[in-house]
Amino acid sequence: MDLAQFLNGMRDPSGVPFFPVVFQFLMVLTFTLHIVCVNVVVGGLAISIWEAWKGGPYGRRLARGLAKASTIILSVAIVLGVAPLLFVQVIYDPFWYASNTMSAIWAMLFLVWVCTAFYAAYGFYLGNKKGDAYGELKLFWAYVAFGAMALAGITIHTLTMEALLPDMWHKWLIDGNGALLTGGARFHGMALGRLLHFFMASFAVTGVYMILYAWYFSPRPDMEPEYLAYVAKKGVNIALYGTLLAAATGFWWAGEVPESLGFLSNPVFLLSVLAAVIFILYLANSQNDPANHAIPITVLLLITVFVMSYAREILRMKYVGAFDYSIFAYKLNLSWGSTLLFFATFVLGLVVLYFPLLCAFKTGRTEPGKVVVIPEKVGSLANILLVGWFIVVAGLGIIISFKNGTLP
Amino acid sequence: MYPFWEVPLVTSGMIIAFIASFHILPSHLATGAFWFNAYIEREAVKKDRPELYDFLSRFTLLILIFCFVIGSITGVGIWFSATVASPRGISGLIHNYVWGWATEWVFFFLEIATIYVYYYTLGRIDKESHLKLGVAYALAAWISMVIITGILGFMLTSGKWIETGGFFDGFFNQTYWPQLFVRTSMMLGIAGIYATIVASRMKNKAVGQEIVRKASLWGIAGMVFGAIFTLWYLFKLPESVKDMAFHGGLPYLKTLLCVAAIAYFIVLLYFIIFGLIRPQMAGTVTGIIILLVLFIGIGAGEGFREGARRPYIISQYMYGNQIIARDVPALGVKSEVAKYQEKGITKSLYWAKHLDLDRAEDRIKAGRMLALFLCGNCHSFEVNGIIRPLPSLLSRVGVEEAEDIAGFMDALGDYPYMPEFPGNDLDKELIGEYLATLPKGGE
Ligand code: HEC
Repeated sequence: MDLAQFLNGMRDPSGVPFFPVVFQFLMVLTFTLHIVCVNVVVGGLAISIWEAWKGGPYGRRLARGLAKASTIILSVAIVLGVAPLLFVQVIYDPFWYASNTMSAIWAMLFLVWVCTAFYAAYGFYLGNKKGDAYGELKLFWAYVAFGAMALAGITIHTLTMEALLPDMWHKWLIDGNGALLTGGARFHGMALGRLLHFFMASFAVTGVYMILYAWYFSPRPDMEPEYLAYVAKKGVNIALYGTLLAAATGFWWAGEVPESLGFLSNPVFLLSVLAAVIFILYLANSQNDPANHAIPITVLLLITVFVMSYAREILRMKYVGAFDYSIFAYKLNLSWGSTLLFFATFVLGLVVLYFPLLCAFKTGRTEPGKVVVIPEKVGSLANILLVGWFIVVAGLGIIISFKNGTLP
Repeated sequence: MYPFWEVPLVTSGMIIAFIASFHILPSHLATGAFWFNAYIEREAVKKDRPELYDFLSRFTLLILIFCFVIGSITGVGIWFSATVASPRGISGLIHNYVWGWATEWVFFFLEIATIYVYYYTLGRIDKESHLKLGVAYALAAWISMVIITGILGFMLTSGKWIETGGFFDGFFNQTYWPQLFVRTSMMLGIAGIYATIVASRMKNKAVGQEIVRKASLWGIAGMVFGAIFTLWYLFKLPESVKDMAFHGGLPYLKTLLCVAAIAYFIVLLYFIIFGLIRPQMAGTVTGIIILLVLFIGIGAGEGFREGARRPYIISQYMYGNQIIARDVPALGVKSEVAKYQEKGITKSLYWAKHLDLDRAEDRIKAGRMLALFLCGNCHSFEVNGIIRPLPSLLSRVGVEEAEDIAGFMDALGDYPYMPEFPGNDLDKELIGEYLATLPKGGE
């Protein structure tokens, strides 16, 4: 049996419930959001360690701010990560399941790293919360959190790379005597350029986060303008050099990609390079007053990361395309009902989300001690929508249950 | 077939069970606790009782750091462990229920947004809006349960789906509603215990005891309704499952149910004694012991649910060894058992392509692969294995020689809890030759 036949035969016999391109789009979109959050956690921990060492009083205050952010953003990153994890299993199941089972112990350890990173980040934040905001910091938990994040990143990187190299699987899994290896302990496929690229991008993204931070807190009277200026200045520099380093490692990564895939001449890849160039130029141009350019910088960053993520997806299509695998060849078993359920819920979710976001945005900009008033209707609407969702779905469920005879 | 991950002694399935048991408590707590929270906060707002806010803040921080995060990491953990233990099983679920999970994910996101904002805006936004944030979290969390219950239920009873292949036909299957009601009651019970622990540690004793009492009423209601709905659930189980659980077959299932019932009863007593009669006696230690009791009880209940779907991993559709059991014409799915019985499975094994089946040692290697893929999900291969060790079981039924084992494969399908053998005569010979090399487990 040849490899292409094997891979295509591994597709799930149930097919997919909607057009693969939609899953692909959602995968890239949610991956973008996920990786941006991961970048802020990794970059934020690294920068707060650095600032605690060398940053002076403002740096130490910044380190505390980043510590708190890392706890919240890591939990957001975890939730966001679920979505691309789901969608990759829909359209690339043969690859994802093979790499995970092959390195099962690592897939399990990944959870340990994430858990450790979260609690260590919390330890870092809570351990430095009380007392002087400008004082020295205890860094032990910061090191642990950073190390655990790095391990988690390396693990997912390897699982992804293994998935892209199916022609190696047989060799990796059959030992010298010809027996099947079943320990799940080995891992393969590290590509240093690619790994470092994600790491460097963390600085770029965290730099932008810092600019945004300075902009966001600027209306608050209890926030010293000098401190915010310090954060913005640091942020723009880190973003700029981080992006340049990410670009350099990006070319290293591009060098690792087999030439036969013809990736470097792909329009989406070229577009991603263009986006990065525009982003760099804009950053360089905003150096004097970064906080005032916070919004366009953030938008440009998100566009860049999105196009990059699309380029990464194109690369994956090329890798698997070499083995005659195409997501577009997936058997369709259209399920309009459940597709509608998701998209309707998605829109509803965005509307509901406005309520907590508004609360957070307003309180964050108000000095402690003052009470913020949120328009009554916003919260009511959110809850009415949630209850409405349940009524509609439960109603549907009851009708179907009676029709199918599963009730009473 | 995907690569196989072998976990010595206990099988990879136990890894799922292990992670899942750490998921149950925090996830039910993260779902249930905020209903109680919202109830207390409503008291605080409507009757203007600021002293209750102290409770809210403590309660929320613990839920946030402990339940929410552990709940979400172990939730992802169940997924990852299912991926490495039963990749084709999780794939089957995902390809049918991807939009269900994606919909649930929207609510996950709302949960995380509302719980963080709720915690960090306590006392910083107007009271009405804050209360609404709490309610929004409670609703979103509960809706995520409304969704996952459909997918979990589908694995045990796939309903009309087997005929229609329809998403909602499998989702609203015969155990959906009872299970949703059981879980909902249970989450209120768990929230009750948790609230008694937090409240008993409050500085203001009078307020603490008042909350303990209220929480116990919630708890009692949860437990009583939970029991009623559990009976409904058991009643709704398919006959074949009832047979297997209550009349021979797999007697351990009945034991699990008894364990769950006893745990249930103890928790109910706790609420009555420590909650209503002597609230001043409620404390952290008793609370935690009771949480543990409940943990064991729920674990037993989930163990029952998981065990009762044997020999399937997805009811009627996919066997525990991840082989598709029947045609589902609506989805264009063909039975793999039939296919492999006709064509042979070794021939279709990519991992065995290098083996030369005329050589004795290669035959053993092929046989080992078959044993892993066809039995390894449910059986360990060591003599001293903990989970259904094949050497001892084979000796127990008295088939120890290669030909006997090969012959025994024809009988597998006669057991109510085992899949039929999906292979031809060559496959039976190969698996027999390999299994005969295992150490003998007889007395
Ligand atoms: C879906 C899970 C599952 C699969 C797959 C499975 N078994 Fe079993 N098997 C069980 C269960 C459950 C028992 C009952 C164990 C007990 O009695 O404690 C069992 C019992 C047995 C027994 C003892 C029977 C008896 O009469 O006591 C033998 C022998 C056995 N299995 C062999 C196999 C072989 C060989 C394979 C692979 C071809 C296999 N099983 C695949 C679940 C499975």
